[in-house]
Amino acid sequence: MHSVDSYNPIVITVYFFAVIFVSMFCMNPILLIISLLCAVIYSVIRIKDSYKKHLYCLLLFIIVSIINPLVSHNGKTVLFVLNDSPITLEALAYGVTMAMAIIGVIYWFSLFTNIMTSDKLLYLLGSLSPKLSLIISMGIRYVNLFAQQMKKIKESQTALGLYKGENVVDRVKGNIRVFSILITWALENGITTADSMAARGYGIGKRSHFTVFTFKKKDGIMIGLVTLLLGVTIISVVLGGSSYTFYPAITIASPGIIGSCGYAAYFILSMMLIIIEVEESLKWKYLQSKI
Amino acid sequence: MEILTVENLTFSYPGGAKTLDNVSFMLEEGDFAVLCGATGSGKSTLLRLCKRQLSPLGDKTGRILYKKTSIDQLTDIDAAQKIGFVMQKPEQQIVCDKVWHELAFGLENLNMPQNDIASRVAEMASYFGIESWYEKNVTELSGGQKQLLNLASVMVMDPDILILDEPTSQLDPIAAMDFIHTLRRLNRDFNLTILIVEHRLEDLIPICDKMILLDGGRLIGCDNPVKIVSRLDRTSIMAGAMPVAARVWYEIGSSGDIDCPLSVKEGRRWLEKKGFKNIKAPQEHFKNQKNINVQHTEQRFEPALAFHHVYFKYSRELPDAVNDLNFTVNKGEVFCILGGNGSGKTTTLGLAAGIYKPYSGYISVLDKKLKEYKNQSLYNNCISMLPQDVQTVFIRDTVREELKDAGVDEKMLPFDLSHLYDMHPYDLSGGQQQMVALAKVLATNPKILLMDEPTKGLDAEKKFIILNIIKKLKKTGTTFIIVTHDVEFAALCADRVALFFRGKIVSTATPERFFAENKFYTTAARRMSKGFFEEAVTADRIIEMCRKASEQAIGRRE
Repeated sequence: MHSVDSYNPIVITVYFFAVIFVSMFCMNPILLIISLLCAVIYSVIRIKDSYKKHLYCLLLFIIVSIINPLVSHNGKTVLFVLNDSPITLEALAYGVTMAMAIIGVIYWFSLFTNIMTSDKLLYLLGSLSPKLSLIISMGIRYVNLFAQQMKKIKESQTALGLYKGENVVDRVKGNIRVFSILITWALENGITTADSMAARGYGIGKRSHFTVFTFKKKDGIMIGLVTLLLGVTIISVVLGGSSYTFYPAITIASPGIIGSCGYAAYFILSMMLIIIEVEESLKWKYLQSKI
Repeated sequence: MEILTVENLTFSYPGGAKTLDNVSFMLEEGDFAVLCGATGSGKSTLLRLCKRQLSPLGDKTGRILYKKTSIDQLTDIDAAQKIGFVMQKPEQQIVCDKVWHELAFGLENLNMPQNDIASRVAEMASYFGIESWYEKNVTELSGGQKQLLNLASVMVMDPDILILDEPTSQLDPIAAMDFIHTLRRLNRDFNLTILIVEHRLEDLIPICDKMILLDGGRLIGCDNPVKIVSRLDRTSIMAGAMPVAARVWYEIGSSGDIDCPLSVKEGRRWLEKKGFKNIKAPQEHFKNQKNINVQHTEQRFEPALAFHHVYFKYSRELPDAVNDLNFTVNKGEVFCILGGNGSGKTTTLGLAAGIYKPYSGYISVLDKKLKEYKNQSLYNNCISMLPQDVQTVFIRDTVREELKDAGVDEKMLPFDLSHLYDMHPYDLSGGQQQMVALAKVLATNPKILLMDEPTKGLDAEKKFIILNIIKKLKKTGTTFIIVTHDVEFAALCADRVALFFRGKIVSTATPERFFAENKFYTTAARRMSKGFFEEAVTADRIIEMCRKASEQAIGRRE
């Protein structure tokens, strides 16, 4: 159990929205470096055995970085000439920045899906509409049930020698038959489920909504903090405290006070999950050592 | 205090004859009542009429009162909350995907605030021992856990009366016993009124305090179980479904002052009073057995199916489901495999049927390796399997199409299905489904028939029908491999019985030896007769030996 998981799903969602929003819409190299580094570090901490994914991302990073200078020939610093077209430093820098944006967002999303398990997502939808959450919960239940039954039917039919798998036509035919009986089965068993729901008073009036997640004080603080940091970052970007250009030459304005505030705020925001994790483990170690 | 009163209840489905005919009975608070009757006696209809939300449509006269209020006049909330209802199929009753959500479902419907739900759900989860799987997906649960969850999610609504329609019919015996014990605990600890319909009467009758007997929609009696059981018509179908002790008592000792014994414990006391002790099996019985053994050794040269050091697992990370499995089944033999849940019995059948492939070792079928059967030839005149869930056998809309599809020759069947031809397979009763599925399985003219839990969910009467079919087919030379939890059934039909444990067979013997040697994993008849009669593992055998012993005693006195 990671300490990040103890936060309410709403907080997690707001947080990821803030981080991803910035790295998707601000093509500022410094912000993107911060975002990418933090995402990579936290996914190394959190998701074990993911070296394959890291390799894949690195490959993607390289490809995206290279494509831009091959296609776009803007910029004044020519590195070398390839097939009569100049490859420029500016185009390469732009490519790398784009790659950072894309890979960074990929990492953040993979973290998001890792933290937001299905029941957390469900809770989120449930707080929008309790009815929707019930429907989704039943949906998930039924998909599982279907998959199980389908497998069972296929196995039974195989053992009867009726489900032939030799050629494509037979296989398709067999699958269609299995699917059609599955629908009948679903309708038949839906009656039992409906009875079971009615027996427990479904539909007698307004429903309440139960969840295992609660909104605690620390969730409130966290949301406030995230909003504040996001606000500072956005204001700084809008006010131009962190302006930059790629073409014709790379210029990154020296940040100034507004720009520095923006960078700092985004740095803290991106580091937040790591800070929480480290803080908790230090606290834990401290408590242990006291015993 | 009266909690449920049924007064002159008559009911018929639209356009049908009377399903219930002038039924009246009354349950007091805290009664543990068992409702019995043969198939079609209107048990389920009666139960459903007691729960307003599930009442079938039809003509109803008479009244059903809950605490002196007609159930039609209860408020919606009371009707949902005060009368709990648990049904037969564990899987299909579950509505939500998470255990905690399922527990909360009923309370959500009552519009209870979040905090109250939290405490109620927590309370119930700890009472039922659900805590450790509280956050799991329901698909990860075993059948027994699913049914326990269904019970808990009804109990969380705090009902005064609990109605159960064959709740353990889909469970294995151990899970079923757990379930029944939970019911008993609820009844004792909270004075909860229980009304239950069940096939598994052996365990239930000794602990209930009221029995309601229905026959063809009429009430035969509603009284304490000893009175009902002892007054039962001995030739009726229901008599065959009674506990072993009662069945022996019907034949041997019904005259006299001793009350009808119901449990194994009472049965043993009664046998002791009757003065039976250490009675040896008659000589000719042993001779027969020896003959059987001789036959076995002769047949051992003709194996029908053999496993040679077979290993199998479902995926790389999982432990072996079957490991180093070795056994041989001879031609024309009925081989029963017993064992706990998850011991690999069903997997073994899957391996024999070629659904799964072993990663080491091999299986030979009729002197040829399983792998060498190409192009479905394994399923032609060779092997066929009746799966546990027989519904998975059906893929057509009527029985007729189903049989035509499989190429069933109706004249060759050992039983008649003609009255079912125009029905949808899903509309048939459990027993009928079993028969149609069996017909389909027999269509390929199998020499080896694999059966997975053929008696699951069937009442005593249907079990006998299946038993007779197996005996009939055995005469034509079919080899049977039957996986079952039903020890009584295995004792009746098997030539050899094997015990499966953790992926392999640990012991094999004739049923007499097997059940006589086992102390716990054995039939009720054996538990009752141990020490009184040697090697008596079925009720019929006890009766036979009792008679012999009394005749000899009379002979000696003369």
